[in-house]
Amino acid sequence: MNRLKRKLLETVAFLFLLTVISFFLIKLAPGDPVRNILGAEDLVVTQAQIDELRKEMGLDQPLYLQYAHWFGKLTQLDLGKSITTHRDVVTEIVRVVPATLTLALSSLLVMSVIAFPLGILSALYRGSLVDKFANVFSLFGTSIPGFWLGLILIDLFAVRLGWLPTMGIGKISHLVLPSLTLGISMAPPYIRLLRASLIESMQKDYIRAARARGIGPVHIFFFHILRDSLLPVLTLFGVSLGSLLGGTVITEVLFGYPGLGSLAVTALLKKDYAVVQGFLLFMGIIAFAVNSLMDQFYRLANPAISIKEVEQR
Amino acid sequence: MALLDVKELSVEYRGIPLVSEVSFRIQRGEWFSLVGESGSGKSVTSSAIGGLLPGGLRVAGGEIRLQEQDMRSVSACQLRKMRGKNLSYVFQDYQNAFTPFIRIGKQLDEMVQRHESLQRDERRRLILESLTEVGLDAERVYSSYPFQLSGGQLQRTAIAQAIVLRPSLLIADEPTTALDAVTSASVLKLLNDIKQKMQCAILFITHDLRCVRRYADTVAIMNTGRIVESGYKTEILGNPRHPYTRELFAAVPPLRNVPRRLAVKSFCEYLEAEGG
Amino acid sequence: MAFFLLILLLLLLGEKLAPYPPNDVDMSLRLQPLSAQHLLGTDHLGRDILSRILAGAHTTVGVSLSALFACLAVGVPLGLIAGYAGGRLDWSIMRLVDASMMFPDYIVAIVLSGILGAGTFNLIIAIVAVKWFGYARLVRSIVMAEKSKEYIASARLSGRSAAAILYHHLIPHVASSVSALAVVDIGKIILMIASLSYIGLGIQPPNAEWGSMLNEGRSFFISAPYLMIVPGAAILMVVLLVNVFGAAFADRFDTSTQKEG
Repeated sequence: MNRLKRKLLETVAFLFLLTVISFFLIKLAPGDPVRNILGAEDLVVTQAQIDELRKEMGLDQPLYLQYAHWFGKLTQLDLGKSITTHRDVVTEIVRVVPATLTLALSSLLVMSVIAFPLGILSALYRGSLVDKFANVFSLFGTSIPGFWLGLILIDLFAVRLGWLPTMGIGKISHLVLPSLTLGISMAPPYIRLLRASLIESMQKDYIRAARARGIGPVHIFFFHILRDSLLPVLTLFGVSLGSLLGGTVITEVLFGYPGLGSLAVTALLKKDYAVVQGFLLFMGIIAFAVNSLMDQFYRLANPAISIKEVEQR
Repeated sequence: MALLDVKELSVEYRGIPLVSEVSFRIQRGEWFSLVGESGSGKSVTSSAIGGLLPGGLRVAGGEIRLQEQDMRSVSACQLRKMRGKNLSYVFQDYQNAFTPFIRIGKQLDEMVQRHESLQRDERRRLILESLTEVGLDAERVYSSYPFQLSGGQLQRTAIAQAIVLRPSLLIADEPTTALDAVTSASVLKLLNDIKQKMQCAILFITHDLRCVRRYADTVAIMNTGRIVESGYKTEILGNPRHPYTRELFAAVPPLRNVPRRLAVKSFCEYLEAEGG
Repeated sequence: MAFFLLILLLLLLGEKLAPYPPNDVDMSLRLQPLSAQHLLGTDHLGRDILSRILAGAHTTVGVSLSALFACLAVGVPLGLIAGYAGGRLDWSIMRLVDASMMFPDYIVAIVLSGILGAGTFNLIIAIVAVKWFGYARLVRSIVMAEKSKEYIASARLSGRSAAAILYHHLIPHVASSVSALAVVDIGKIILMIASLSYIGLGIQPPNAEWGSMLNEGRSFFISAPYLMIVPGAAILMVVLLVNVFGAAFADRFDTSTQKEG
């Protein structure tokens, strides 16, 4: 079986599992979903009304039939309507995705701006002040609750100094504090990994060989060391995607930033489960896509893997 | 005037002497063998010459002159310009002689580019020539990644790298130790051919006296950071004076008694057959 | 170091040291600044913050430890079974692992605790759902590596039961690696619980918990910044303590394995 076929099969299996989990996780909710919906609308309800709505929603049918029905609609990108806003769930999600994506990317940018210089400098100048600072920074960064860091930043820069807006969306200034919060909490593992893998690469015999050839330190660093050290960083990026996506949820709630995370938490608190299902599906697909992408990068960056695969065939 | 003149060189690591007052000279086109056990300081000595000492180690005293140039006083930048062009290295660890994820051709190209202002195709021609000289399929090696070559091929490539800019001194730090007997014999022969052809001096570092017998012109024996005895090969091998040298010789099985029944044609036998 | 010991002591004694009952509401004393009576001030309901911090220590650390042990109780046996039995059982367990890893951990924890409803028990379930598989995978890989070694085979040949082999040979190997992972995880779990409580999906008021204290006090931060600073600093201190301890532990663990190797 060649790689493409296997990848395709994997993807199909994954998507199937994803829909199953997204569907059945919701069914774990205690209480009667119908009562939840009616209760949410604050009506005096009779048993007859409940039965009617239950039939209307197909909730009187066995679970697997409900799933099949749900899945059928999903293939047409129909996830139903939000019970609070009465809008189409897919439209709701698509509407807020750009905001979350912007936040995630700008946080990654902040993370890189912090982690790369610190990781690289602490590897190049081991035991120096920069190295010690990076170490203390990492320790605090992993130990500080992200939302608390956000609160402090708000208090300091928005409330007391008034430099930046506390909440909202639209301007770049709205992005600064949230991405700073998320970027700082994400940076420590990258700093540590970058430092460790750079140090490991620098001690390789082939680096000495390159120096013996008269190649300059800057060239060696960029072409012979850095690239090798970026591979584990890429892997970590795939792994830490969870903390990025999860982090956006917390950060969005904290800053009242109207993205996917705020949408999902509001939906959870209001038991608006169609939205939650959509959120789960979307996050699962993003996670899968990013991991597959990382896999591809890894392959490209590491010729040994792909060439050996070709030779084996 | 000697090509390389090392005078009372001392290297230490945090105050612990690793090499103490080592002196030797290498003439143009000479094969100089530095022999000693592991830890005797021979590799440290060779690293010190090109300014390649690992972190923490430093030259504590003495003088190193290569082609009249005082290697201790030149700037790091000048030293880099000399490495690869005036003196080049071949190391023991052939697996890591080249960066694993960059093609051989590219790595040789960046080296030549560093030292010579040549056009792209001229550099390529020079590299292919050098690869052919060491008996490799030049085109194939040029476009290969290191892991696609065998150990012998890699070591030959490393030698091609060392001679591509025609250095006057080639430092070979245990180049055959990690290779099997047959391959290492052919690598030794290759080095000797290069020496003959290009009149390049070789500083050959080894712990194996058998590597000395065939090709070396002069020999120095090193023990615990000092050179205990040095001179022409015939003198040292024929009449070792220092007790350590004798001890070292006693540890090596005499060539003539190597059992013929060994299934694999051993390195020693190969030398015997070649040299008579 | 003495500082850390002090924190540890405060954590252990917790509520007993609290000068006031942590849930006592007294509106006449609301939002008091730092004073001799109320060392860390009072919150919007006039509750003594120091008392709530000390009580919250028990909640936060207690719930985190319970969640950690629950993860161990689920992950370690499943990993042992998967690694030792192999075959179909292994396959099924590993697919379960795959399914758990499908979503980013915070997402699952948030959604699950949201769906199940707030509360300590549900919070623990949510944590287990995102943390158990780390232990299962770790244990499985150790068991598989150890299983192929000779001494297990010879123990088996000498006619000992599977359980006895597991007990005598594998458990010590597993224990050291699992505790190394647990030390790293505990800090993450504390942070996760605090985050969930902060967005209102974890431990619910009026129970004193550091994350939910921050949530409750959110609207008063401008007038009473200590409402924000104190609980967050408490979380930071405890997690810092755990991480520093964890780093030291990891170092020791590394050197001990090096000596073995």
